[in-house]
Amino acid sequence: MKGQLVIRSLTAAYGSSQVLHDINLRVNAGEITALLGANGAGKTSTLRAISGMLSRQGCIEFNGLRIDQLSTEEVARLGVGHVPDGRGTFSGLSVIENLQLGAIRRNDKVGINGDMDRIFDYFPVLFDRRTQQAGTLSGGEQQMLAVGRALMARPSLLLLDEPSFGLAPLVVRDLFRIVRRLNKEQGLSILLVEQNAHLALDLADQAFLLETGRIVFSGSAEAIQRNDSIRRAYLGN
Amino acid sequence: MELFLQQLVAGLSTGTIYACVALAVVMIYQAIGRVNFSQGEMAMLSTFAGWQMIEYGMPYWLAFPLTVVLSFVFGVLIERILIRPLRGAPALSLVIVFIGLLLIFNSVAGYIWSYTVKSFPTPFGTAPFLGSAWISQHQVGMMGTTLAILILLFLFFRFTRVGLAMRGAANNPESARLLGIRVWTMEGLGWGLAAAIGAVAGMLIAPIVFLEPNMMAGTLVYGFAGAVLGGLTSPGGAVLGGIIVGVMENLAGTFIPVIGGELKLTLALVTIVGVLVIRPQGLLGKKMVSRV
Repeated sequence: MKGQLVIRSLTAAYGSSQVLHDINLRVNAGEITALLGANGAGKTSTLRAISGMLSRQGCIEFNGLRIDQLSTEEVARLGVGHVPDGRGTFSGLSVIENLQLGAIRRNDKVGINGDMDRIFDYFPVLFDRRTQQAGTLSGGEQQMLAVGRALMARPSLLLLDEPSFGLAPLVVRDLFRIVRRLNKEQGLSILLVEQNAHLALDLADQAFLLETGRIVFSGSAEAIQRNDSIRRAYLGN
Repeated sequence: MELFLQQLVAGLSTGTIYACVALAVVMIYQAIGRVNFSQGEMAMLSTFAGWQMIEYGMPYWLAFPLTVVLSFVFGVLIERILIRPLRGAPALSLVIVFIGLLLIFNSVAGYIWSYTVKSFPTPFGTAPFLGSAWISQHQVGMMGTTLAILILLFLFFRFTRVGLAMRGAANNPESARLLGIRVWTMEGLGWGLAAAIGAVAGMLIAPIVFLEPNMMAGTLVYGFAGAVLGGLTSPGGAVLGGIIVGVMENLAGTFIPVIGGELKLTLALVTIVGVLVIRPQGLLGKKMVSRV
């Protein structure tokens, strides 16, 4: 199965300030892996380092291939979908055009149309707004659009950066239900970054805990949920 | 009435040229967020290249597309060699580069071809169009050619994959890269297209303003005025703005005695300042709408 990501001793810096220290992380193919931590712990930086948006050192292997020297667009072309922090909406383009841009590297017209129908099926509100300028969508709708856009590229690994951020609880529940469905039905591997740890752990198979740029704990999601001291220290109860 | 219609039609025909220049300016503005002041001199160089080919005995309709293609390559090279290394540099650096290019292109053209005014051939003829006193064959040909090119560009951006990728790269470069789009390649294409459109405008306006290194100075100011009036963020607005400026220039020059021939260019500058003060986004430009 495709979508496996292995990271070994990854460090990364913004200019001279190092934000990631010796990160070791693994996303098994077909699994959901959660990356948890407080604000500023380096979750978003980890995803940006994987996608080559941040200068990084260390070894990143995707489907057995070294990608730590590749540019952002080359990483994307290998099948890494990235739903970025802030949603990355093409605000001046229509909803349909945003989705078409997701499939810009594909040639199979029939498959693209099928995928677009599927995304409208997941997120009916996007269908209602399909001709609208994407910048006028609400935050939740833009989040759905960002997920839809990434899926249009048919990635084998999806990097999700705080999909719940700023969304109403009901919308979050819908979104997470769809994430679970994508994982179960299509075997999509997912690396999920969340501040809302309970939500993420309910969904995830494995979890990594990040603190000031270092991995401080890793294990199965259940193990973390059962570990009292970690729960008290990091999850708030 | 006769005079009014005549000036209106003449305004429409030069307006399509301003529309082309405005569109070229907007395309580069969308790609890099800066106004390219050397756009007019690039078009002038292209026009000289076309003139040289015709002088060497090449038929007009071979020289025309060849010049457009060469200009495209020229635009791509400028982006690759001069603009890309300045990525992330302060706005002023790029402005200085553009002004430098303006002066260099102007001097190079003067050095090679001299500052004496040359006539430029028109393939459409200079006789009145269908015996009408309003408009010449060249003006009709000029309008037809520019409109055809504007329509082709519209179709390109609206319905082709590369066109969509270019719009995406301009709208949100980071997201475009996350989808595997080579943003730099798209910016190079934008520069190429802008240079090619400028070449078309230069070659079509040259029979009217005559060929010399400063030939595009007026046209560029009118083109800027059109781009600002229509909205620097809106290609469609730039085209509309260019045409409005063309018509306004002719009508005001003819019917407002104070303006006459001498203050027409001033009117364009007043338009630029006025729009920037009253409605900075222009007629069709987007006041960036976004919700978070």
